[in-house]
Amino acid sequence: MPDFNPTQYAVPLFVVLVLAEMLWAKFRAPEAYEPKDTLVSLSFGLGSTIAGALLGGFALWLMFLAYDWRVFDFGAEWWTVWWAWPLCFVLDDLAYYWSHRAGHRIRWMWAAHVNHHSSQHYNLSTALRQTWTGNLTIGILFTLPVVLLGFHPVMIAICGGFNLIYQFWIHTEAIKRMPRWFEAVMNTPSHHRVHHATNPRYLDRNYAGVFIIWDRMFGTFEPEVDDEPIRYGIVKQLGSFNLLWAVFHEWIGMLSDIWRAPWKHKLSYLLREPGWSHDGSRETSDMIRARWQERVGQGDLPTSMSVADRNPIAASGEAA
Amino acid sequence: MSLLIQTAGSLVAILALAGIAWWLKLGGAPLLDSDEAVRRAAGEVEDGFTPVATAHDSATALARDAAGRIMVIKRHGNRFAGRVLGPGSMARLATGRLEVDPGEARFGTVLLDLPDAEAWAEAINRLHLSHDA
Repeated sequence: MPDFNPTQYAVPLFVVLVLAEMLWAKFRAPEAYEPKDTLVSLSFGLGSTIAGALLGGFALWLMFLAYDWRVFDFGAEWWTVWWAWPLCFVLDDLAYYWSHRAGHRIRWMWAAHVNHHSSQHYNLSTALRQTWTGNLTIGILFTLPVVLLGFHPVMIAICGGFNLIYQFWIHTEAIKRMPRWFEAVMNTPSHHRVHHATNPRYLDRNYAGVFIIWDRMFGTFEPEVDDEPIRYGIVKQLGSFNLLWAVFHEWIGMLSDIWRAPWKHKLSYLLREPGWSHDGSRETSDMIRARWQERVGQGDLPTSMSVADRNPIAASGEAA
Repeated sequence: MSLLIQTAGSLVAILALAGIAWWLKLGGAPLLDSDEAVRRAAGEVEDGFTPVATAHDSATALARDAAGRIMVIKRHGNRFAGRVLGPGSMARLATGRLEVDPGEARFGTVLLDLPDAEAWAEAINRLHLSHDA
């Protein structure tokens, strides 16, 4: 059985690329980095590795349990079935899409995933702002169908590692657009900038990990508009560089809401979308988008009418 | 043991990278030095928030919209963060400066150096009274 963790080997590459992007920022966009923000992002990455080592056991145990109930069997030497690897990678990415989508639409999962969005910057260090508490959610349930199909948990873990490595390089403003064919199929810096934006038009869009086709298929794709500056982060910016607050603030907020809510609404604060409140005192991303559409009067503007699509020069942009 | 070595190595790399970002003087300090800058920052804090009155020093600002809502904005790193003030917010004058407490411990108190600080303090404290009424 292969004993291989691709992310471990990728760490030196991450460091080199962050350094390279910092040098790019020095000459082209010094505002792209902020030392305190970078420190918090990188500390998130370290904490996430430790938390994964401490809390990942249950998810792994569940996956091995499910593997006993697999529908197909790739044999005792499953790792030698070459075509299972790309298939597993694609299916794991599909599972990632749904898990990620749930991570934005179910507050319990958002409490863990919000970590990744808590920076007001978008650079390669932001990619390392990974959750510490993902193993305390139901995220693993989205991977179980892949296990039940017959893919070994180790194969899925390795594919997941490569998936994570792919997602690292798309966290940058240094690359404007990739070639058109690439933008059509793959997740790119442009697509993922949209995902990290708090501009109303971009909220809860582009959940893809590696293949953007999932967003196109399931109706959550939004192209980047060239003439609208992107604001990164979360709707209610933290305004603090306290690492522990950044890690746990949404858990504290959610548990506090559950504690204070009337009994019949308690579960909704756990399972409904972030921003939902039983008394309508807060706004969900759908409400923010609707208010914005009403305000700017282009509620019915289809995405094909966006500036990027109306401007052939912008649409044919190449990598920077 | 290997996790320990990995952790120590990562910690060194983290501090080195953050140090390099600082050494390269990345970041900067954007200013809230005009009504337009405050208006832009307010729109970033809450989409659609349109100030009809603003007050600012270089790093912090207050903005009031037509509905009477008041927003406090502060520079956070080289970005801005803000809060629309509610009944839990309070303001007071301290050593010639306006101290605004949005009622969120982790967001912190915001200190503003404004010429019309007293009027803003009254307006902010009235949010509390109007809620009680």
